[in-house]
Amino acid sequence: MALSRSSALEKLATFRTNNTRASQETFQTASVILKSAQKLGDDGWAVLEQLFLAAVDVGRLDVADQSLKQLADRFPESPRVDVLTGIRMEASESPEVVLTYYAQLLDADSANAAIWKRRISILRRTGKVEKAVEELTQLLDTFYTDLDGWLELADIYTTCNQYHLALQALSHALLLAPQNPFYVLQFAETAYTAGDLPLALKTFLVVVDMCERDLDAPEHQPAAGVAVRAWMGVKLASRRLMINSSPSASNTAVPKTLNLIEELATERVLSAYAAKGAASRGGKGAQGKDVVVGWVGAR
Amino acid sequence: MSQYSVSAQAYFKIFFHAAKHPHCSVNGVLLGKEESAGTIRIVDAVPLLHHWTSLSPMMEIGLDLAGRHAESAGMKLVGYYQACERIDDTALAPVGERVAGKIKDGFKDAIAFVVDGKNLASGEAALVPYTFQGTTWRPYSDDTTAFNVGSAFQLAAPDLPRRALALVHEKRHFMFGDFDEHLEDVTIDWLRNASCMPPDI
Repeated sequence: MALSRSSALEKLATFRTNNTRASQETFQTASVILKSAQKLGDDGWAVLEQLFLAAVDVGRLDVADQSLKQLADRFPESPRVDVLTGIRMEASESPEVVLTYYAQLLDADSANAAIWKRRISILRRTGKVEKAVEELTQLLDTFYTDLDGWLELADIYTTCNQYHLALQALSHALLLAPQNPFYVLQFAETAYTAGDLPLALKTFLVVVDMCERDLDAPEHQPAAGVAVRAWMGVKLASRRLMINSSPSASNTAVPKTLNLIEELATERVLSAYAAKGAASRGGKGAQGKDVVVGWVGAR
Repeated sequence: MSQYSVSAQAYFKIFFHAAKHPHCSVNGVLLGKEESAGTIRIVDAVPLLHHWTSLSPMMEIGLDLAGRHAESAGMKLVGYYQACERIDDTALAPVGERVAGKIKDGFKDAIAFVVDGKNLASGEAALVPYTFQGTTWRPYSDDTTAFNVGSAFQLAAPDLPRRALALVHEKRHFMFGDFDEHLEDVTIDWLRNASCMPPDI
């Protein structure tokens, strides 16, 4: 089924707003749109940039080169096009060549955060992790509100098993984007991995609160979406705390009502699996209920 | 050295998982059984994570659930697989070593596969086997390349890599779901993923 033109444009705009990296889909949709003869106006350039990035991602460098040429002709000396040129080089040139290119751009304009971030990503992937962390920290000193930067820093620390530093980086991300439960979830899971179970439990409960506080009578509705994951986290952390008390590096207190929290988590996890297939989901019910029942019942 | 054979179902699922999230690292576990002494059949794969693979809580839960699922199907967890976010990276990540080690506690001939991104589209078996040697997990090496004639690792049929590629061109991997996706929508059948398998499997 061919998408109508307006819904295709809308889909691409949503991907842009949400930073969704659905490159295969983007590549197809954007190619079709740009082939049609109708003028797109200013949106057309945004779609072209999107097509370029998706084309690099799916390995269609021929299409990437065509799009990049059009963009460079229309916007000569644009710093934004410089970033795209760098990305294109990264796909086929050696890291040294690209780093030299980025160094030139940064010499001309040291406040070009996008180029700086590209450079840090190359440092990381070529194994210069310490240098990457050092530069990323400097970047975040200059551009404190760079949410992606904080998330990247947290990710680097996590892969190096430096969970406490990862938690610090994530807490900056939470200040910048307090409404996104997914980042809170990441914080909770990092706290669990760091062995700070009381902090993990508390933060999983924050995620639950964010997901369910606006519902009418949430206790009568099955847990859904991110809340399922959060309730499973509550269950996991509270069960482990009931077996062993565990020290908390953040001095987070263990709730006195731990047993009740554990019981509630069991009930909420099961509620997600007990729900009959809703019509909105095509009548499909929850999958894998048996193993979940086994897991929540195990001691 | 034990002999390992990888079924069509297991190979396709690993392939779909890597293809669906090309810019993420993904991981999962392998289900199978020891058919006779020293012959291990890898029957199925259960995909776990792609959001982040280095945090433990959902990994712990996913492993537990996948283990229960394997048991109810008369199988065991026999291995671990991962694909890295970078195409040229075929190193077993530290988390992979930990999980594979945990699986090894329950199955002594446990195996780990890392997807070889460069070979995914080549028609060759795109898996690098890691075995536990002495004190660490290392790439398995032997006189013959893994999955070639005479190797300890075999695919159930030689055309599996080509078929997997054709199935991805049909976009079957878009219907594939892992534990991360299941946790956002519990109607996703991450344990079986039957709907994206070709009809003869």
